Amino acid sequence: MTVLTPAGPAVPVAGAPALVPVFVRLKLSLLRNGLRRSSGRKAAYVSSLVVTLLLAAGQVAGLVLLRGHAQAGTLAVLLVGVVALGWAVLPLFFPSGDETLDPSRLVMLPLRARPLIGALLVSSLVGMGPLFTMALAVGSVIAVAHGAVATVAGVVAAPLSLLVCVALSRWVATANVRLLTSRKGRDLAVLSGLVIAVGIQFVNFGAQRLGQAGGLSSLEPAADVVRWLPAASAIGAVGSASDGSYGAAAGQLAVSVLALGALLWLWHRSLDKLMSSPDGSTLAAAEPSRRRSGTERSGFFGLLPEGRTGTVMERSLRYVVRDPKTKAAWVTALAIGLIVPVLNAVQGVGSVYFACFAAGMLGMQMYNQFGQDTSAFWMVATTLSSTRDAYVELRARALALLLITLPYTVLVAVVTAAVLGDWPALPGVVGLSFALLGAMLATGALASALFPYSIPQDGAFKNVVPGQAGLAWISILGGMLTSALLSAPVIVLTVWLHLAGHQGWLWALLPVGAVYGTFIGWLGIRLAAPRTARRLPEILAAVSKG
Amino acid sequence: MPEHVEHAESTDGTAAAVPAVRVEGLWKRFGDQIAVAGIDLELPAGKFIGLVGPNGAGKTTTLSMVTGLLRPDMGRIEVGGHDVWRDPVEVKSRIGVLPEGLRLFERLSGRELLAYTGRLRGLPGAEVDKRATQLLDVLDLAGAQHKLVVDYSTGMRKKIGLAAALLHNPEVLFLDEPFEGVDPVSAQTIREVLVRYTRSGATVVFSSHVMELVESLCDWVAVMAAGRIRAQGTLAEVRGEAPSLQSAFLELVGAGGRETSGSLDWLGGTR
Repeated sequence: MTVLTPAGPAVPVAGAPALVPVFVRLKLSLLRNGLRRSSGRKAAYVSSLVVTLLLAAGQVAGLVLLRGHAQAGTLAVLLVGVVALGWAVLPLFFPSGDETLDPSRLVMLPLRARPLIGALLVSSLVGMGPLFTMALAVGSVIAVAHGAVATVAGVVAAPLSLLVCVALSRWVATANVRLLTSRKGRDLAVLSGLVIAVGIQFVNFGAQRLGQAGGLSSLEPAADVVRWLPAASAIGAVGSASDGSYGAAAGQLAVSVLALGALLWLWHRSLDKLMSSPDGSTLAAAEPSRRRSGTERSGFFGLLPEGRTGTVMERSLRYVVRDPKTKAAWVTALAIGLIVPVLNAVQGVGSVYFACFAAGMLGMQMYNQFGQDTSAFWMVATTLSSTRDAYVELRARALALLLITLPYTVLVAVVTAAVLGDWPALPGVVGLSFALLGAMLATGALASALFPYSIPQDGAFKNVVPGQAGLAWISILGGMLTSALLSAPVIVLTVWLHLAGHQGWLWALLPVGAVYGTFIGWLGIRLAAPRTARRLPEILAAVSKG
Repeated sequence: MPEHVEHAESTDGTAAAVPAVRVEGLWKRFGDQIAVAGIDLELPAGKFIGLVGPNGAGKTTTLSMVTGLLRPDMGRIEVGGHDVWRDPVEVKSRIGVLPEGLRLFERLSGRELLAYTGRLRGLPGAEVDKRATQLLDVLDLAGAQHKLVVDYSTGMRKKIGLAAALLHNPEVLFLDEPFEGVDPVSAQTIREVLVRYTRSGATVVFSSHVMELVESLCDWVAVMAAGRIRAQGTLAEVRGEAPSLQSAFLELVGAGGRETSGSLDWLGGTR
């Protein structure tokens, strides 16, 4: 950077004041251009915007109603704390696909890190997430602020907590971009992502346990800690000011202000380092590649059938191991699918039926199959010339998935049943899992054909390109609801067997679920095949935006 | 290869062979931008054909539509007498494609990628492995065959892409900028393979904006600019009186006498 910046007077100096509107405009145009690509995407984006707005409005209303309640402060502080944690984790898992924030795109521009930080910070305040957080912060302030001093503190606290959240999120993202510029780093990042995913589950269970122990008041000890942690401490300050403890209020505000400063400094440092040090990708190229055996389809893959089925299964399975994005999705699904039911069981609060969660998590991998191919989907498209080809292709992908999922689902059910000691329910749970898995495969195949979207490969933790996030979420959310509906017959049968006292017949759910799941999965793939074959160019266009 | 040509002639019934590619009234628009504005093309079989034009002329869009990767707004495309959009079964097995700007399955090794492509094309496994070995040898990729494609250089990617496109011995091969970003050694290897392939009676259609390359390789040329075909025919026909294809091309696209010295006077001035 410094070497490249000429000292001559002919070069206009990029100052901070000019940079901010440029980045805000860039962000807005990126959002707009993402939307311009198709009307369906626009609809999906608008509806997810509406959902966010409704959620935000509901949250504000709820917090306003809480005003005066004894535990309002506890709840507000914890909510902001959880949201701040979310901001830290969000760029790793549910990235907004925000290109303005990808510093590696800015490396070649004669920009210094300091003005850039301001511009990036302001531009990252544009979007749904910040809007939601601001609504939460304002609602929290309204819920806790009593008196003039508290109101003044609140006016400072709400934007302050938002800024801390955003700065935290940006720092995490920037610090990790560096990690991910090398292939090796990307694989490491998968693990760090897993640690966070697992961590969330533990937090979740901690919260549940507290909730059971005696409602909101049992959260007070946690809140007492959190109200001194940055972001939440700003809201904590409002509470302290309302109680008249102005010293504590000042201290808490100071904590947030200092944290903001520290985060900006850390971010600045990461950004500086990122923009002036060589790209890590060159290191990856020097890495020696692993030697593989010269013969094709040796070992395990030799057992797969010949033709498209075996070929596609082999590639899908190789990608689970080798492609960082696919691997991350799988490892997360496998881990969470096991952790949720088993941890619940260990705590003694769960039911064996929680094991169905694993089927749901793993079935989700069927979604956006062609998006997982990225633009390499053209290699598939040039060989798919009939509905039959598309059917075999989708079926092979489903089979590859089942190869991992089926034994895993059974394993999770067995472990859960063992922990709970509830063996009689086991066959029913496995049956229900199979039905759910079949429904997920069916909806996943259809969603792959009808709502494909790009998974960016280059960026850090981006899973969706700008403008397609709404599409992605709607497709997965809609698919999950539909899957639940599709497995309703088996669910209803399970409930009926329990209610009518026919527990002796619960084993029958195993064959029923297996047959039903197979049927519904087959039907879904059958329906998805002609749609895939017809829409090849459209799918390719949709998955090539990464 | 030759048997396909005979087959084409017999269905046609006339002395004139069925063209490798026939395009009629092809249109494609992206929003307000018209990428391809109603082009007609007739590319003869068994020739080395160059589709030339400046960046943004619509070459990639045209090739994508001809190979079935992009849906045209209007128009008809036939490859070997079969409609690309109505009869994909006939067409897809006869063409090989190397697109530009699209990824490969990069997390496979070069050899695995060929094994995958060949089997998807429905070739028997043993045959795929035999052909893959030969292609890897000829294209000088044998040493890197077990390396993941993601670690390949640009030239190696083009070569493995070419190998994947050739694997099922197609009648017509479509290559989008096959020499773009390729080092001279790899470029020479690619050239040799392509020349040998057309000698067998197959057709190669490739796009490029490097006129010298097209002039030295092709016997048939189509010139494209701003979404339209400006000229098509044998190299001699398109070149006409001009001393080189380059100057004929500049004339055709209307960039021959453009003067740049007036503006940009600051460039190279005092700093």
